[in-house]
Amino acid sequence: MKADRLFKWTNLVVVWLWLSVFALLPSLFVFLLSFLENDAVKLVRWKFTFINYLALLNPLYFKVFWRSFCIAALCTIICLCLAYPFAYFLARLRSKYKNLLLFLVLIPFWTSSLIRTYAMISILKAKGLLNTVLLFIGIIHQPLPILYTGTAVIIGLVYSLLPFMILPLYVNIEKLDTQFIDAARDLGANTATIFARIVFPLTWPGIVGGIILVFLPAMSMFYIPDILGGAKSLLVGNLIQGEFLAAHNWPLGSAVSMVLTCGMWLLLLIYWRANKAGQQHESIGEI
Amino acid sequence: MNRLVKSSYLTAIYSFFYLPIIILIIYSFNDSSYSLLWHGFTLHWYKQLGDDMALAVVTLHSLEVSVLSATCATLIGTLTATCLYCYTFFGKRLLHGLMFVLIVSPDIVMGVSLLILFFLMKMQLGFWSLLFSHITFCIPFVSVTVLSRLTGLDKNIFEAARDLGASDFMSFKRVIIPMLWPAILAGWLLSFTLSLDDVIISFFVTGPDFQILPLYIYSLVRIGLKPELNALCSVMFIITLFIVGIFQLVLRKKEA
Amino acid sequence: MKLYRYKWVVCFLFFLSSLVNAQEKLVNIYNWSNYISSEILRQFTKETGIKVNYATYDSNETMYAKLKANPHSGYDIVVPSTYFVDHMRRQGMLRALDKTKLSNIKNLDPALLNKSYDPGNRYSIPYFWSSTGIVINTRYHALGQVENWTDFWNPKYRNQLLLLNDVHEVFSIALFALGYSPNDTDPEHIRQAYFKLKQLMPNVRLFSDDAVKSLYLDEDLTLGMAWNGDIYQAMQENSAIRFIYPQDGFIVAIDSMAIPVGATHLDNAYRFINFILRPDVAKKISLATGYASPNQAAVKRMPRAVLNNPTIYPDPKTLERSVIQVDVGAAEAIYQKYWELLKVGG
Repeated sequence: MKADRLFKWTNLVVVWLWLSVFALLPSLFVFLLSFLENDAVKLVRWKFTFINYLALLNPLYFKVFWRSFCIAALCTIICLCLAYPFAYFLARLRSKYKNLLLFLVLIPFWTSSLIRTYAMISILKAKGLLNTVLLFIGIIHQPLPILYTGTAVIIGLVYSLLPFMILPLYVNIEKLDTQFIDAARDLGANTATIFARIVFPLTWPGIVGGIILVFLPAMSMFYIPDILGGAKSLLVGNLIQGEFLAAHNWPLGSAVSMVLTCGMWLLLLIYWRANKAGQQHESIGEI
Repeated sequence: MNRLVKSSYLTAIYSFFYLPIIILIIYSFNDSSYSLLWHGFTLHWYKQLGDDMALAVVTLHSLEVSVLSATCATLIGTLTATCLYCYTFFGKRLLHGLMFVLIVSPDIVMGVSLLILFFLMKMQLGFWSLLFSHITFCIPFVSVTVLSRLTGLDKNIFEAARDLGASDFMSFKRVIIPMLWPAILAGWLLSFTLSLDDVIISFFVTGPDFQILPLYIYSLVRIGLKPELNALCSVMFIITLFIVGIFQLVLRKKEA
Repeated sequence: MKLYRYKWVVCFLFFLSSLVNAQEKLVNIYNWSNYISSEILRQFTKETGIKVNYATYDSNETMYAKLKANPHSGYDIVVPSTYFVDHMRRQGMLRALDKTKLSNIKNLDPALLNKSYDPGNRYSIPYFWSSTGIVINTRYHALGQVENWTDFWNPKYRNQLLLLNDVHEVFSIALFALGYSPNDTDPEHIRQAYFKLKQLMPNVRLFSDDAVKSLYLDEDLTLGMAWNGDIYQAMQENSAIRFIYPQDGFIVAIDSMAIPVGATHLDNAYRFINFILRPDVAKKISLATGYASPNQAAVKRMPRAVLNNPTIYPDPKTLERSVIQVDVGAAEAIYQKYWELLKVGG
């Protein structure tokens, strides 16, 4: 029992020590910064104020947040739809190359994202690969104007974030016990019912994990959307970057970041509450 | 479901991932400095790559940091996930919340706040500040992945292990880790991927003597990306495939 | 568990290797992109024995933010552009230069010295200068059709323009078109510029700082704005491209070397700056990047073709229309607000 307590406390100390210094402290700096006043010369004036948060009540900022939310949500949904079948087929593959195939998912992302994005530009542009092929086959008669539109932005984001949906789904589906599916089939259930009543609920933690790892980063991404979308609009990431770098207004930038973080926390809280209500799904796993 | 449908779908998604890479490799032979259209075949950029020592050093630095930070982040992230799952303790909600703050925080906010931290700690910027920062932003990706696998694990197994007299540490080592192994590997892969391509945070926390590849590439953006970089990425890609292939062969031999 | 122990050995070895780098004969340079080639850095090390750590950034703003958050970031030389020199010197972030240690400073063109962003060049030494102007592809537009910034507003250029993704560059177009200075701090003038730009937005295809060269080269875009060095290099691969100095005025930017207050290798920094001021070195750098050199002695040695190329070296009469950017001080927040409004409305 003593060894148990030692083990538990060692774990907690290591985790808390690291996160307190490198995660909690910097987060507190940001929190503190958001309540200070901006100063043109010294950057911040040590004066407690709500001015930064009040400035955010501008409809301009609502628009920016809403646009980011819509893009992130659309990207997440597309990623989920594309990733789930992929992860499912891969996880249930009876092959000795499964690990290799998993590695192969990530290897393209070990090349610089900037070089990859430029490769994507050379595919999507008016004289690029996609249009050349489609024109040659005859499906279209004029080049498709994909580049510098919202479509290119979504394609770019989905491309960058798809592995972050695939992996959590994969590790979750991989541990699915086929006994449940076999039992259900024996009892006469069709594929749709099996998916809806057994597979989907059991892989729910994987879906949640994937959504978290895709939606949250997507909310603050802006560099790839700028390159592929032509930088004609603002996302939350542009806003924060602009306040920190161009406007030298660190307090306002911190305030926008705090609002973004709290907004995400709120969504997660709603999920937690909803999850508590639907605990019945958990009981299937404890048969 | 039809085997053909399954393999077609898998192939389609893999093609989606690899098409830009293939284009990237093709353009490393492009006979033009700045154009994104094809102008003819040349090996000029590979020759230039061979002469560029600075690029080699910078790439090595990147790999150093990414491997180390992925490994450490996987360790700490797995511990975090098991703490959150197995134990109840004061500040559990805060820890959960901190994970999400780390994922959602924009890079520039994290970069600037970590820079301020290193300034207050009077820590010299360089390899160590970079490493600590990379480990920190990778941890939540590992813990979310591992936690998603932990949730829904049959809790009876832990009860059984405890009944058989195993301490927490033994059941961690002999039961939990093997069951979590795919998630731990996935976490390492995600961390390595994130760390290898991080630009904004790295920009703020690295020092003058430790330049890494993504910073080098992003700073060239204003001049224009020469195909020499495509050549570098192609070489790295081929080497990676080679290493992974060898790794797979070694593993297969071990199992046999 | 064996692997576990090995990890700490590896970490320790890396720690040792990082200590070895802390030498005295060292200079840490923080510069834009790859403007100084490794060949020149090697030449410096060969001649002086001082090792050079060359780190890069992609914008004035990020360099400034880093130095502001941590003045001891470790850099001995930074290279801000005009109005950032102004901004940084006002905030005491730069060291006053000891000109006695810079014997080659006599090589600089007096016409580019003693400007309002740094009176007397107390804090900065120019080493590049560039202009922002109009780019036109003569295969699609007749030369002479677009001579002023005001021509951009022509409805026939709907969805065709490439603008630089920089608040001051873009606002300067409207300010010049309205007859104001790009350094204007009057909120009313900036507001007018914003409304003028709003009318321009339907003509804008995209904002971009990067890939400008390839976009004009590949003729994805045939009209817009750009820096002259970029266009000079694009012209080498596509002869239909032309760079035009607008009649209603254009911006000149001067990149300068400066020493931040947190610098530790001062003597080495001075030796490096003096090295860059040598005519042969300045000439090499200028020819490699396509940007004009403020070094008179270097300019004299340039090939005729380059010297007579108005894209890089405009004649004095053209330069009369140029304006050098200075720090706009408190008006920065106003510019930023309207920039955000412009982007969100679009």
